[in-house]
Amino acid sequence: MDMTLNAFTLYILTGLQLGSIFVLIALGLTLIFGTLGVVNFAHGALYLIAIYLAVSINNALGFGLALILVPPILFVFGVLMERGLIQRFYDRPHTDQILVTFGLAIVIQELLKWVFGANNIPFAIPSWGNGILMLHDYLPFLDGFVVYPKWRLILVVVSIVTVTAVFALLHLTRFGLVIRAGMRDAEMMQFLGVNINRRFMIVFGLGSMIAGIAGVFGGPVTQVSPEVGMHLLVPSFLVVVIGGMGSLGGAVIAGILIGMAQSFTAPYINLNTVIIYLITVVILLVRPRGLLGAKGVFE
Amino acid sequence: MTDVKSEKSSNTASGWSRRSVLKATSAGAVGAVATPLFYTQNAWAEEAIGNYPVKGSEVVLGFNVPQTGAYADEGADELRAYKLAVKHLNNGGGMLDTLKPSKLTGNGILGKKVTYVTGDTQTNADASRTSARRMIERDKVIMVTGGSSSGIAIAQQYLCNELGIIFMCGLTHSNDTTGKDKQRYGFRHFFNAHMTGKALSPVLSKEYGKDRRAFHLTADYSWGHTQQQSMQEFTEKEGWSTEGNIMTPLKTTDFSQYLSQVLNSDADVLVLNHYGANMVNSLTNAVNFGMRDMQKNGKNLEIVVPLYSRLMAKGAGSANIDGVLGTSGWNWALEDEGSKVFVKTFTDEYGFPPSQAAHTCYVQTLLYANACEMAGTFYPPEVIKALEDFKFTGAGNGETLYRGADHQCIKDILVMQGNSPSARTSDFDYLKIVDQVDAATVDYDPAIFGGELGPYVPA
Repeated sequence: MDMTLNAFTLYILTGLQLGSIFVLIALGLTLIFGTLGVVNFAHGALYLIAIYLAVSINNALGFGLALILVPPILFVFGVLMERGLIQRFYDRPHTDQILVTFGLAIVIQELLKWVFGANNIPFAIPSWGNGILMLHDYLPFLDGFVVYPKWRLILVVVSIVTVTAVFALLHLTRFGLVIRAGMRDAEMMQFLGVNINRRFMIVFGLGSMIAGIAGVFGGPVTQVSPEVGMHLLVPSFLVVVIGGMGSLGGAVIAGILIGMAQSFTAPYINLNTVIIYLITVVILLVRPRGLLGAKGVFE
Repeated sequence: MTDVKSEKSSNTASGWSRRSVLKATSAGAVGAVATPLFYTQNAWAEEAIGNYPVKGSEVVLGFNVPQTGAYADEGADELRAYKLAVKHLNNGGGMLDTLKPSKLTGNGILGKKVTYVTGDTQTNADASRTSARRMIERDKVIMVTGGSSSGIAIAQQYLCNELGIIFMCGLTHSNDTTGKDKQRYGFRHFFNAHMTGKALSPVLSKEYGKDRRAFHLTADYSWGHTQQQSMQEFTEKEGWSTEGNIMTPLKTTDFSQYLSQVLNSDADVLVLNHYGANMVNSLTNAVNFGMRDMQKNGKNLEIVVPLYSRLMAKGAGSANIDGVLGTSGWNWALEDEGSKVFVKTFTDEYGFPPSQAAHTCYVQTLLYANACEMAGTFYPPEVIKALEDFKFTGAGNGETLYRGADHQCIKDILVMQGNSPSARTSDFDYLKIVDQVDAATVDYDPAIFGGELGPYVPA
């Protein structure tokens, strides 16, 4: 296929949009890992809960309410999950954490299948986000007729806003300062009289809430069936590894890198299937801690 | 065998030469080996194959369906149909009243009460083989049936063939199942990708014109590949050209990277060789890309889904499938006697009409049972012979032939079109029948796909 400017633009947009959903899921995953040191394999299941909640609320009460309700519900769910289960595994080896969260993911997936069935539930895009954008009207360098779905561009914007908000929270607020200090040395924070456990609980809730945001905006793209969570978990986890465990910036760069790689290799099935693993291998060989991984994390 | 030997002895009583002793010995040896094969028809029925002979007053069937995984809903409907078939086999009713010719009495199979065990294929080849093997070795099933994917059907078919157990395929649509991977012990009632291409392409060219350029997105496994080849072959015969084909990984949930390629091509028809969740996602994504309201080459861009099912249509939603053409093996709205009685008994039992997966599984169970009755034995080679070239009616697809050369049923198939949300009257009529293409039209030479059925008695 000729790589015209039109085609190149479509490749880039598709890469950005595929990367956006990876970034949104990986962001929560890496935030939880960076602060709590927990490898949360149930994170895909949190996304799954979010899309089922979002589609149910959307179909019954409209998209606006889904947007308002789903992220806070996921926040509460995340807090309950942390208090009820995850905190008991803080001092256990990573293998135990992986086993328990993976088990939890399967339980959640099967529960949702039991309630909603294995078949897809159609998630309609709200009317204001439906349709396509005539890119050639806005980008004069394009030749002729080039379009892209509005919703996917909205997804990219949502991803950018969410990433910016999380960065701002961690770098511009006192809460963020405490969290970052806790990430360096949780014990010292305890000695200084800071209830770091309570803050970590909030971080877990935040990670879960980001999965909620991803579910509301990603649901119409990935659609709503019980397998979606697991399908997204592996690439998202690889994004975290490539970016560097616990690094937010790394997750963003890696997410976009993976999205672009998938977009540009689309016509070649063999390469398309293995490209993310290939990239993972190459990056880990060159930079064993990932792109922006810090020394001493998960080593 | 003793008769043969004594006859030979008496003929040579007058005098023995070295030559005649050698001749008699070799003839006797050949006779001893060959006799069971041609002198007594039922003598070989004593031989144990698979789980034959069936001991006790009950016969066990193995229903191996996806109970978890992407096709779990279809698997659940298949299981409902199997249970209904067992009920009818033991007590009469259902298609036992319409299937012709039939030796089924409603008194089990060959006087033995029918029971069953179930397994979960998980739509995974290894899991399906493990489950089938467990049924065969532990539960002593005489026949295995089920499955909702061609890869799984082919995997089970090979295993069953090796173990001497007849496998009645559930929902499998790849040409390979009764083509290059066909087996003596495997039988398929469902139609295939080749028949879809043959039935659908003339309707497509009539609806959309002969000067069309198609772009295919294809699920990257056995079924997808054969479906794409068949659609390309038959649409090109109608005058269409093929702009491109991209194989998509089975686990894809977001097809945007592939749809971008379609947007960037000159194609004015998008053929989605996807099934189940794949099709739901690719079609929904294509709609999001505006492809249902787009014009290419001065024509409306059209989307085609070669293999349709009600569950898929429901998953994609009425608005998205409105007007989209495809094919189905059967639909509950059919008005023939067999379909009506099946729909009624199924609906009475479960409260909603059956899917095409349920239909093919139900019919397969009855056809196996009937073949045992016709053969007068559970002995697999005789049952296979009874099924081969068996012609029947009253099972919902007009006059049907279970072709002996490749174990493929040749029958009418349906061209379907998605119903618009306003035209839908219930939660079950997502698709409407556009055309019933007769068996003669979709028939083909079984030799074109190669493969060998193999021997009646497994090695």
